[in-house]
Amino acid sequence: MSEPNAAARKRVFLYIPTTFLVLFFVLPLVALVVLSFWQTANYKIVRDWTTLNYVTLATESAYIIFFLRSLLMAILVSVFLVVVAWPIAFFIVRFGGRYKLIFSLLLAVPFLSGEVLRLIALQGMLGPTGLINGALMRLGAAPLRFIMYSNSATFIAFVYLYLPMTVTTIYLSLLNFDLRLASAASACGAGRLRVFSEVIWPLNLSGTMIGFLLSFIPTLSASLAPRFLGGPNGTLYGMSMAQQFGESGTWALGAAMGVVLVLFSIAALVILSLGVNLRRTGFTGMER
Amino acid sequence: MTKLTRRAVLSSAAAATLSAPFVRPAWAATPELRALMWEAYLLPDVVTAFEDTHQVKLVPSFFDGNSEAYNKLRVGGANEFDLVQADGFWPQLYFREGLIRAVDYTKVAGTAGYLPEFAAEAFTVLTDPVSGAKVGFPFCWGAYGITYDAAVVAPDQTQSLTCMFDEAWAGRLSTSSRFEENIALAALLVTAEMGTREAPRPDGKPFNPYVLTDDEMAGVEKLLIQQKGLLLTRYQDNPTLFQLLQSGAVVAATEFAQVYRQLLTATDGMTKGDFRHTLQPKEGGLGWVDTWLVTTGVADGEKMDLCNAFVDTMISAPVMKRIGEVAGCSTTVDLRATATEEERKLYLMDRSSEIAGLFMFDQPSSPEKWERVWSNVQAA
Repeated sequence: MSEPNAAARKRVFLYIPTTFLVLFFVLPLVALVVLSFWQTANYKIVRDWTTLNYVTLATESAYIIFFLRSLLMAILVSVFLVVVAWPIAFFIVRFGGRYKLIFSLLLAVPFLSGEVLRLIALQGMLGPTGLINGALMRLGAAPLRFIMYSNSATFIAFVYLYLPMTVTTIYLSLLNFDLRLASAASACGAGRLRVFSEVIWPLNLSGTMIGFLLSFIPTLSASLAPRFLGGPNGTLYGMSMAQQFGESGTWALGAAMGVVLVLFSIAALVILSLGVNLRRTGFTGMER
Repeated sequence: MTKLTRRAVLSSAAAATLSAPFVRPAWAATPELRALMWEAYLLPDVVTAFEDTHQVKLVPSFFDGNSEAYNKLRVGGANEFDLVQADGFWPQLYFREGLIRAVDYTKVAGTAGYLPEFAAEAFTVLTDPVSGAKVGFPFCWGAYGITYDAAVVAPDQTQSLTCMFDEAWAGRLSTSSRFEENIALAALLVTAEMGTREAPRPDGKPFNPYVLTDDEMAGVEKLLIQQKGLLLTRYQDNPTLFQLLQSGAVVAATEFAQVYRQLLTATDGMTKGDFRHTLQPKEGGLGWVDTWLVTTGVADGEKMDLCNAFVDTMISAPVMKRIGEVAGCSTTVDLRATATEEERKLYLMDRSSEIAGLFMFDQPSSPEKWERVWSNVQAA
């Protein structure tokens, strides 16, 4: 194959995803930014440049509360998921043997159904007549009110929705990790805790961070889980944002909320990336 | 002659693949009728029969609230849809904005079957005040009243909207998640208590719970924040409310009487309560008449005839009866001749005149202000 032909083919393979990204990611994002500097009045877009939407978001307590609620929820969910996902992933890698692949594929089973379907199923499970409370009431006990239409119910939903993703990323990281390093540390006299904190954890930090972010960012912007399960006090930032684009028709404010969310997510990504020493994480460079 | 090489075959295959979306094969040439509608009114067998009879494909899109449909119609333009549904004063707004066109009742035979209140001359909500043209066809009607379990909540109490704000039922009340109707219903109570309905209104017209002063909005916000602590949830869909009422977790809820009828006609043997529905509390009630409208994207001719035929099918007595049973709503077509006494009562067939006493669903005077109030309620 001649050199110019090879170069042209490489360019084509680069142009296709680039064009796709420009068309379906960059341009909508630019449109969102532009819209955020306009206004809506009576369901109509007013094309006057203004920063009023951002002023509203920075000064109106309602939107600040939504954001803080979402941020707290995202941190709690992501930390909880990392704590829960680690032992699961470690178990699969360490003891999964030849069934490792099957175990990891089983994690993807919930993704075979849609998110709405999973949430409705969960609503049935946690609701006043659901499996848990229904059983409790049949036994003569009081229903668990904290899991009915509350932030706790939303938390449970997020854990349920994003656990497979967090486990998978940590599993993939551990799969690439050379367990002989842990054995070597043990042989040198390090205790289990020290082996974990000084060898296993730091060498898998980048995979853990990705797992954390894969649950943190969607939780921050989620609208369906709080809508179905959050109850009257469970409105989160993403739900409010979806409302702007839906029934209230205040698209410009919604666009500003979206831009804030994108900027915050990028900032979170950068901050968390700074905390990862790439030379000490993940890839040992050894084939397993 | 072109040589058949691997390269040529691959190039042709790629070209054919890339051009496939732009080629309409003969079997795909069936005309389409695109409807923006409420999902509850879609009866698959009726649609299939209509498609077979008229050799057309119905392409439905669904929405929840009027403002959502309005947004879709404005963004997509009237050319995206042929038929659209709306209620209250929304059809007139659509007509003013050139989104829907005038319709001719004489082209739809089924309009002769309307109840007197919904006949062309009587039902002026669907008459353009400027041109006098009819802008749509009435379909189903109802109110946003209170469904309650009379075994728990005394019927007298539900004659006032205060029952939805009563601490006695804390944790056992529910409202829909639609912000316009929550605010408008609270506005009925607030304005009744403030005594401001007779005072000059912001738009210079008679009182309308969708046009409120700033003081009234502040009162509404306060009331809705108080109510929030009493709610189990704001239900997202009728099946959820059905379960909540049926199980006794909720004893009173504002809704469109659809769940009320489903509770009374449920055949699963699970329904325990003595369910009743208050159509019009003493402070006033909200009402709606769902309609079928034709967009300005439809020109006279074959497409318009199809639209008329579809509406005619939907308002035919057998289909309306089934719509009433499935969606749990009252119909604008007179079904009394074939209905049982129980059905007449359940579907308010003899009470259609009460629609005149209800405040029709409308567009909020300022969606931005209403959104802010709703956000404050949600954040409180």
